Amino acid sequence: MTVLPQLIVSTLLLGGIYALIAVGLTLTFGVMRVVNFAHGEFLMLGMYLALFAFARLHFDPYVTLVLSLPISFAVGWASYRGVMRPIVHASHNVQVFTTVGLSIALQNLALVLWTADARFLRTDYYAVVVRIGGAAFNVAQIVAFALAVALTAGLFAFMRWSYIGKVMRATAQDRDASALMGIDTDRVYAITWAVGIACVGAAGVLLAPIYPVYPTAGLQFVLIAYVAVVLGGLGDMAGALIAALAVAAVEVAGSYTIGTAWKEVLYLLLFIGILVVRPAGLFGQRGAEALGT
Amino acid sequence: MKAVAPAAVVFVCAGLAPLVVHDAFLLDSLVLILIWGSAAAAWNVAGGYAGQISLGHSAFFGIGAYAAGLVVTRWELSPWLGLAVGALVAMAIGLVVGYLSNRLRGPYFVLATIAFSQVLLIVGSRWRGFTSGSEGIPVPFRPGFWTLGIADKRVWVWITLALAVLAYLLQLYLDRSRRGYQLVAVREDEDAALSLGVPARWLKVAAICASAALTAACGALWAQYIGFVDPFYVFSVDLSVKFALAAIIGGLGTALGPFLGAALITTVETYLRAQFGGIGTRLIGIYLIVYGCALIVMVRWVPHGLVGWIGERLRRRVTARAET
Repeated sequence: MTVLPQLIVSTLLLGGIYALIAVGLTLTFGVMRVVNFAHGEFLMLGMYLALFAFARLHFDPYVTLVLSLPISFAVGWASYRGVMRPIVHASHNVQVFTTVGLSIALQNLALVLWTADARFLRTDYYAVVVRIGGAAFNVAQIVAFALAVALTAGLFAFMRWSYIGKVMRATAQDRDASALMGIDTDRVYAITWAVGIACVGAAGVLLAPIYPVYPTAGLQFVLIAYVAVVLGGLGDMAGALIAALAVAAVEVAGSYTIGTAWKEVLYLLLFIGILVVRPAGLFGQRGAEALGT
Repeated sequence: MKAVAPAAVVFVCAGLAPLVVHDAFLLDSLVLILIWGSAAAAWNVAGGYAGQISLGHSAFFGIGAYAAGLVVTRWELSPWLGLAVGALVAMAIGLVVGYLSNRLRGPYFVLATIAFSQVLLIVGSRWRGFTSGSEGIPVPFRPGFWTLGIADKRVWVWITLALAVLAYLLQLYLDRSRRGYQLVAVREDEDAALSLGVPARWLKVAAICASAALTAACGALWAQYIGFVDPFYVFSVDLSVKFALAAIIGGLGTALGPFLGAALITTVETYLRAQFGGIGTRLIGIYLIVYGCALIVMVRWVPHGLVGWIGERLRRRVTARAET
């Protein structure tokens, strides 16, 4: 098996970026109990941000990454105030339709503004490949992986040690009790939503130099993120991290054995299988799906 | 709103319209409104009455469209047979999907249905040997009623009207029958309904099956009417959202609502396409932006849809009159 090292490396590189997309999604769900169906569209917006910053202002995508964090945080904050705030306590159906509506509106806004053409962000070091042992690494992928891991680690540290992170975890555990303890839950939701979007926006910037950019680019990645998030247990950040690697492994193994054309079917079937057999995920509590929480 | 009179007026007007109107464009719009209205009504059976919010219903629509297209192109049989095959296949798949996803609620059910329609999208667009892959299937026009090669749009109005009335009657049955009341009880509180001996599981599966079969019938007629099956359109999430949006605008869980919603969104869509389509294909997405915003606005401010809103107005007027 000379391909094995290559497969493992590909899995890790892919899994790192999936993890960054998935933790943002699962964080929003854990604290707000809202599944964000527009998550992929914010990824797409991040990709366009990197693309235009590169094409118009000649910013390297890794410079844009630093700028993208406050920008997507602000976009997230604004979308919370404008769209999500009134429906945080509404029924699931209202939440689902609101975020789906947001997704469609954003996707087609991009279509109208920037056309359906796939665009490419080509840096000078795009095609640089490093070989170590039997495996080849694309430099853009390695950098994306390293930064994604750093950002995910930063988010974990933020959740664990910062005051805001603790408040967010408290709200996730019991929103009523947190409100009684004097926590401004509305503010916590705004921050959570904005942090989730900042994560996925940053992931978009990291993906832009590797994948083509087009209005529905977010869909394929966010589907993977849903698989990872459900597999890890909705709302469980560590679970999402492990699950993202597992999904990446399935994808890499699938591309290798049955070809790239059908690999999506593989993880979608895996997804449906998990939903049917153990919807609470690998580490989640049984019965969460029936409570609809 | 359980009165049948408004619906009877709407359907009779639609049935008589071809005798008065001869404009091909208006008749074409009417056919599309009836097809989308029936599909929205089918969605409403699962999403509105049973509370099983699906965003993968385009899967069933696509199955119907492909069944009709393939039966005609591969075996040269009647599209009516394709319609029946599509409805049966969709029903069987609805049975499996409904059974497997039975205990999933809220966003989990939505995710499962989206994933399911995506699987069919990939199969439809990649299985070249059987479905012709991403090129889609051009459905040949062979004149005759049996082959559904009908150039006269008036006949199409009557065919699709029959489907619409069928969809309406199914909903009316749910509005008035014991089974319908049980289904609504399951939607409102499944545990309470179960404790009263309502066969919740069975009812939800049955609702999805009926909804799937009806959606497939819409897909089959649509494929024959339009003459082309494109996997990226018939299996798209946008199409599923369209069904849901029409039902939500008209009124979830109301029998006439989906048809009103479909009339509204089809009109808006046609208008926006005509307005902006000419400027360039890049503006084709404009009506979808309107869809998205309409969805956000409707679920927040008019959660009971047009039918609920109109009903509320009427009731207020009646009570105001009673007080004076």
